[in-house]
Amino acid sequence: MLKFLQERVNKTTKELDAKPAEVREAEAGKVEADAVATKQGRVTDLMRRLAEKLGKENETEGGR
Amino acid sequence: MSRPPFRGLLAGCLLALVATAQDEGIPSPVPAVPVPPVAVQNPFQPFDRARFEAACKQLGATPEQIAAFGKRIDEVGLARAADDLVRAAVPEFDAAVKKHEGGDPQAALDLTKVLAATQDPLLQAHVRYHLARLFLDCDDPENAIAALNDYLEKNLNRSPLDGEAAYFYAQALAEIPAPDLALPRFRAFLQWFPDASERFRSAAHQRIGEIERQQESRLHNLADGMKKTTRDLKKKRTGKPTQLDQETYVEELQALIEEFQEKENQGGGKASGTSPSGNPATESALPEGDGTVGNLEKRPSLADRWGDMKDAEREKIRAEVNKGLPPQYQKMLEEYYKKLGKAQK
Repeated sequence: MLKFLQERVNKTTKELDAKPAEVREAEAGKVEADAVATKQGRVTDLMRRLAEKLGKENETEGGR
Repeated sequence: MSRPPFRGLLAGCLLALVATAQDEGIPSPVPAVPVPPVAVQNPFQPFDRARFEAACKQLGATPEQIAAFGKRIDEVGLARAADDLVRAAVPEFDAAVKKHEGGDPQAALDLTKVLAATQDPLLQAHVRYHLARLFLDCDDPENAIAALNDYLEKNLNRSPLDGEAAYFYAQALAEIPAPDLALPRFRAFLQWFPDASERFRSAAHQRIGEIERQQESRLHNLADGMKKTTRDLKKKRTGKPTQLDQETYVEELQALIEEFQEKENQGGGKASGTSPSGNPATESALPEGDGTVGNLEKRPSLADRWGDMKDAEREKIRAEVNKGLPPQYQKMLEEYYKKLGKAQK
């Protein structure tokens, strides 16, 4: 799922970057850029949570 | 706040200790602001109290205030007592710091005004230190690094705040996150400031432990890279470098998936890339203790306070930013207030 989510963020980033500068600089473009950043932030949070969960599991298993 | 490459300071004894890039192909986050190499030799000199007190006198400190400083060292620690003395000597600086402590969004503007108006290196040091703390409180480590770059380049060995400036420099790098750059700076802080407050030393040890554990985990490295990309996207950096980073994350995730599948097919345990990560904390939890300037805990209320302000009040601050300040400070504050606005949404 993380890979799928990251791919979607990548696609949106590329699409946004391909737009003309005046479109990106307009208010709608800025809102779109904020939305991409928010999505990347969510993927980051999920990634971090997974890393922590697996880290804890490894620690528990290691302690057995 | 200028952001030139670090130069001048002890150029002869500086040697790049650029940490090796992490393996696994994950881009190690690099701050957008220049980060000077760690000095091999300690650039910090022992605190010169007589020089400090003379500088405070130049700033307008009274004999009574200087005497009070001496008495307060044992009570609150050297750094805090020194900061209190500078604040007492310069009321507009004190007022700006109080605004920061009170969560007033105008604090950044007022501190910058004090900075822009002074040529005094001691006052500059203290203002830059407080600006860096303010930026860190608002999840803006890049501006914190820029403020501390100026501190380390122009204001070193003037104030007992040097140790805390060194600590927060490493802390800002860790928050980028640029663990490869933060790690040697936390270690340098511990080596060069053996008498620093136990609170800071414990926190530095803790951060080193966290970073070392996280560096052993490919998943944490991935999350670090993604965090940097999130910050890039917030700054509208959607170009090729960002896209290349993003492609690397997908490739790395694919590699991890294949590794997991292979392990499962073999009936083994987890893929080795995920371990050992230990039990890393996501945030540094600073131990209780005395002898520090300000509050080490994050105050998330600045963005809320900015949002609660009337439109006219926000406009007044924006107007002040756009007039009368040198361009480098103007740019820094524009970024800061823009970010506050976004954080509040």
